[in-house]
Amino acid sequence: MSGLDVFLQQIVNGLALGMMYALLALGFTMVYGIIELINFSHFSVFMTGTFVGLFVLNLMGVTAVSRSLTGFALVGTLVLLFLATMTATGLLGVLIERLCLRPLRNVSGTAPMITTIGVAFILINVMLLTWGPQTQRFPSLLPNWRWPLLGTAEITFKQLVLFVVGLLLMVVLSHLVKRTTLGKAMRATAQDADAARMMGIDVDRVVVLTFFLGSALAGAGSLFFGLYYGFTAYYIGYTTGLRAFTSAVLGGIGSIPGAVLGGLLIGLTQSLGGQLLGVKWTDVIIFSILIIVMVFRPSGLLGVRAPQKA
Amino acid sequence: MRTSPGAVLLDFRDVHTHYGALHVLKGVSYEIREGEIVSLLGGNASGKSTTMKTVLGLVRPSEGTISFRGEPIHALRTSDIVKRGIAPVPEGRRVFPRMTILENLEMGRYTRRTEPGWDEELDRVFGLFPVLRERRHQLAGTMSGGEQQMLAIGRALMTRPTLLCMDEPSMGLAPRLVEEVFDIIRAINEQGTTIFVIEQNVNMALSVAHRGYVLQMGEVVLTGSAGELLENPLIQKAYLGSGTAATA
Amino acid sequence: MSALGGRLAARLGLERWRALPISRRRQILTPALLGIGLLFPFASGNAGTVDAAANAFTYVLLALGLNIVVGFAGLLDLGYAAFFAIGAYGYGISASGQLKPAWSSLWAPLEWVGQVTRLVVPGQADTVQFHFTFWPMLAVSAIICAIFGMLFGAPTLRLRGDYLAIVTLGFGEIVPVVARNWDGLTNGAQGLGGIRTPRLFGFDFGFSPYPYYFLGLGLVAAAVWISIRLQESRVGRAWMAIREDELAAGAMGVNHVYYKLLAFAMGAAVGGLGGTFYVAKLTTATPDMFTFPVSVMILVMVVLGGLGSIRGVVLAALFVAFLQSVILQDLTEYVHAVGRLVGSPFLQRVELVTSLELIFGLILVLMMIFRREGLWPAVRTVSALTREQQTAAPSRGSTLNLAWARPETAGGPGRPLLEIEGLRKNFGGVAAADDITLTVRAGELVSVIGPNGSGKTTLFNLITGLVAPDSGSVRLEGHEIGGRPSHEIVTAGVARTFQNIRLFNNLSVMENLLVGEHARLQAGVLGAVFRPPRVRREEERAVKSALEAVEMFGNRLLPRIDHPVYGLSYANRRRTEIARAIMTRPKLLLLDEPAAGMNPAETLELMDLIRAFRDLGITIVLIEHKLDVVMDVSDRVVVLDHGVKIAEGTPAQVRSDDRVIEAYLGRPRRAA
Repeated sequence: MSGLDVFLQQIVNGLALGMMYALLALGFTMVYGIIELINFSHFSVFMTGTFVGLFVLNLMGVTAVSRSLTGFALVGTLVLLFLATMTATGLLGVLIERLCLRPLRNVSGTAPMITTIGVAFILINVMLLTWGPQTQRFPSLLPNWRWPLLGTAEITFKQLVLFVVGLLLMVVLSHLVKRTTLGKAMRATAQDADAARMMGIDVDRVVVLTFFLGSALAGAGSLFFGLYYGFTAYYIGYTTGLRAFTSAVLGGIGSIPGAVLGGLLIGLTQSLGGQLLGVKWTDVIIFSILIIVMVFRPSGLLGVRAPQKA
Repeated sequence: MRTSPGAVLLDFRDVHTHYGALHVLKGVSYEIREGEIVSLLGGNASGKSTTMKTVLGLVRPSEGTISFRGEPIHALRTSDIVKRGIAPVPEGRRVFPRMTILENLEMGRYTRRTEPGWDEELDRVFGLFPVLRERRHQLAGTMSGGEQQMLAIGRALMTRPTLLCMDEPSMGLAPRLVEEVFDIIRAINEQGTTIFVIEQNVNMALSVAHRGYVLQMGEVVLTGSAGELLENPLIQKAYLGSGTAATA
Repeated sequence: MSALGGRLAARLGLERWRALPISRRRQILTPALLGIGLLFPFASGNAGTVDAAANAFTYVLLALGLNIVVGFAGLLDLGYAAFFAIGAYGYGISASGQLKPAWSSLWAPLEWVGQVTRLVVPGQADTVQFHFTFWPMLAVSAIICAIFGMLFGAPTLRLRGDYLAIVTLGFGEIVPVVARNWDGLTNGAQGLGGIRTPRLFGFDFGFSPYPYYFLGLGLVAAAVWISIRLQESRVGRAWMAIREDELAAGAMGVNHVYYKLLAFAMGAAVGGLGGTFYVAKLTTATPDMFTFPVSVMILVMVVLGGLGSIRGVVLAALFVAFLQSVILQDLTEYVHAVGRLVGSPFLQRVELVTSLELIFGLILVLMMIFRREGLWPAVRTVSALTREQQTAAPSRGSTLNLAWARPETAGGPGRPLLEIEGLRKNFGGVAAADDITLTVRAGELVSVIGPNGSGKTTLFNLITGLVAPDSGSVRLEGHEIGGRPSHEIVTAGVARTFQNIRLFNNLSVMENLLVGEHARLQAGVLGAVFRPPRVRREEERAVKSALEAVEMFGNRLLPRIDHPVYGLSYANRRRTEIARAIMTRPKLLLLDEPAAGMNPAETLELMDLIRAFRDLGITIVLIEHKLDVVMDVSDRVVVLDHGVKIAEGTPAQVRSDDRVIEAYLGRPRRAA
């Protein structure tokens, strides 16, 4: 058929993927904005979220062989699923901060980042040991409805749900950060932690809150992964993680709109790049983008602070 | 000028601080009474900025005590100290650059955010600094040094603090602006706020302060009323070394 | 009683051991360890253990290589497995049937030396069969990896620690992906097979572990030797200086671009050796052998042993290797047995081998939180101060040893040495330096004073290359130095100290001083490793210069010369910094608040010393706030305010200048 509909299909796919990367990148960039830490464990929290989601669904009686749901059953299940998983991953993030990062708060250099690598490995292997190395089927909650767009291009119900839920979460986050006092306290802390203390802001609590929110968003992203791809495994943190990381860096690390923009761009890169050059090369493209941005424009597209030399 | 000072508000007693192996404050004592403007003066490396940071809990004293209204605060966290009614105007302003003026002021009100009074305090601050009202949706980082200083002071006033601590308000400002700032300091004090000003510019500070202390190499070397200090030839010595008499 | 006696004996033995100087310990340890290494295969009698040991040597090589990059130079490389891969695939491709290019006469010389063969295939064009010899490929591999090391390191030169790590991680991910997908070159996910095993004098290593064991032992011994030699050389000191404080390293003449690239190159080369060795033994290479977890494993070894500690890294690498191959399996059986004993089905099912990465994660987290210096940090003999030294009254030193100073400038101001014209620098809209013009003559002592924020330190930064001017010029002896990198300015003859003291904290006083000598020494990598007589003489002279410099401060620094500087008093740190600057034998010495934190007696002593420097012919520019002192010691005083030079003249002139008084005290106010 004509190239246009293939192109359009890739755009739709790319944006859906991009939503997921954006959610992941958001949590990551929020933590960096506050404590200037590259948190590797964030992407393992994401991977853990998929398993938590599986667990929650099993508890609710929904398994891999269940049929998809519609109507109120669907909405209800989704709401419960998202709330439960996001809370769980949020708390996991807080736990990681308390146990592993708080003791290193005043240590400069790369020790905190190395610690997050360690935590990531621990999480990955706990999941591996608990669930085994085989991929787990994720229940296909969402019915497989599709609507044609142009020629062979079509948009699926799954993608629509992702767009809607993703946008909803971003709007809520944006409101939280821009309108509420707590959100402003978070922004103030990210801009000048000592001045924030002088305003009476409890910086420690703000950090905990940021970790909770960021990890909860990772939980949402993890459900996106499971619902969209229909499977999960212990290794998905690596691949998706590095792409979400590139999204955050591309958009401007520490910038919330940057994370969204970066996520969408990387999603598009992945689907268009995969179409044009072949799927197996998309990783090389994305890592190259990462390196190029870091070397030539470390502040990213929308970022404010360029990482300085020590 | 007040005829009699009020009760002791801030009591800084025999405080020693260290920065690594460097002994910065070597047994500094001073007190601030209600209703006063007290100025802490000194040249570079005198330790005066460390004093402010110690009061605010950003630096812990190795010895000595700091009490506010009779209660010790030297072991408290910064956020707890500020909640007791001490509001800082930090050295270099430290406004939140990517937040608007209004948002900065909102952060100033953080410790009283659940109490009513936002509108009154906002009006009061805008009354003192009309330029802030005009630019209230502008990002603080885009303002000039003088405007940022106004914002920093306004931000500190949003909780109607008991004690306003100002660290080098004249730094980096043109002389005309410096005069404006010190006029405002006097006005705020007349409205009832006690003010502690750390300043390098002796003449400006002593033109509004009631009393002063002069710090040199981490020790208080002179103290007295503003008038006494201005006439004291030793002040110039403390800054510039022995030589000619002070001009005042 | 006997147990107590045994412990006592052990304690005595340990103390006797510690009392020996390092060179003596090495003389004993080296043959002992080599002996153990050589005898081990015969003592163990078990080919499986020997095989495990041979594999373990690969890990040790990799860990030693990463130790150069992370431990010595402080560059966190999270993609180190890339060099392992390049070394492995490099040899693998050259020694297997993977590549079969068409024959052309270009290959003839290689065929002549027996590295390739012309394959005649009926019905098709002739192709080339690769069978490169292992031994030269070891060297080629190392060189290729060194080049890639510099390629991967180059983009990171201006990045901060965690960003540097991410970029290296990116490269570390790209290499296995390329290996997995470039089927033509690497045979993709299936990997290379049929790699030829090494041959030595006709003897084929084949599949027996013994020859590989000895080869590996030899490679490890070489790598350890090279590491030790590098660490204790000018190169190693330059790396450690960069690790501790890159800015200060530059101010002492260390070219950070060169040394960082060198660290990447050397680390990569050692990794490449490991790759070649491993793949020759395994005879296969697949992309999965070089993924991120492998990079992490190597990092775990270095973190566990101790960053920068050669013995720590070797021990930790051996430990991790044996953990993986032997210990965990035995432990698993033990745990199963316990499980059967207590009737716990969970224990009986535990498979520790697959949880190796879990253990790695735990090691990283626990080490970072509780013991960042590693389990076996580098040995440092610090001679404790004797009672006598502790209670000795501080004595003044002398500068008689600074014989190199220029006598022709001694005794008064001479020709212009430093000429600054129209210098401007803007930081975010604020003029930190606003059209400054200043001339300093040889042999002068000029002081720069001014209130807070007046731009004094910025001026120093502009002169010493830490900051590039927006416009204007800075000339030293007529040559323009404005905007040049700091290490070049040091070689031109300018040295400085910093306002908040920038020493190399984990290095000793002596090591700090020797870094000061860096620009005047010449040993490179080869000189460092082989230590020819020229280099040994150079080092001896450097140590002698350092001792002479320390003499300036009497008995303050000398007894502490081997102590790490983070433990020194503030005043002694200051003195070390000044001595370090003197080591560069500067024509112009810039001192930024050298008397800060010193009591009046120490300040006077310091000022006498500075005066002595001036009398010896070193030109001095001083920033100081203790104005009494400044007025006493300076030939001339320059006053800055808001980046502008507002006054200049003799101390007496400046002190009574109204503008100066106003700058400090403020304008007198009209009546309130």
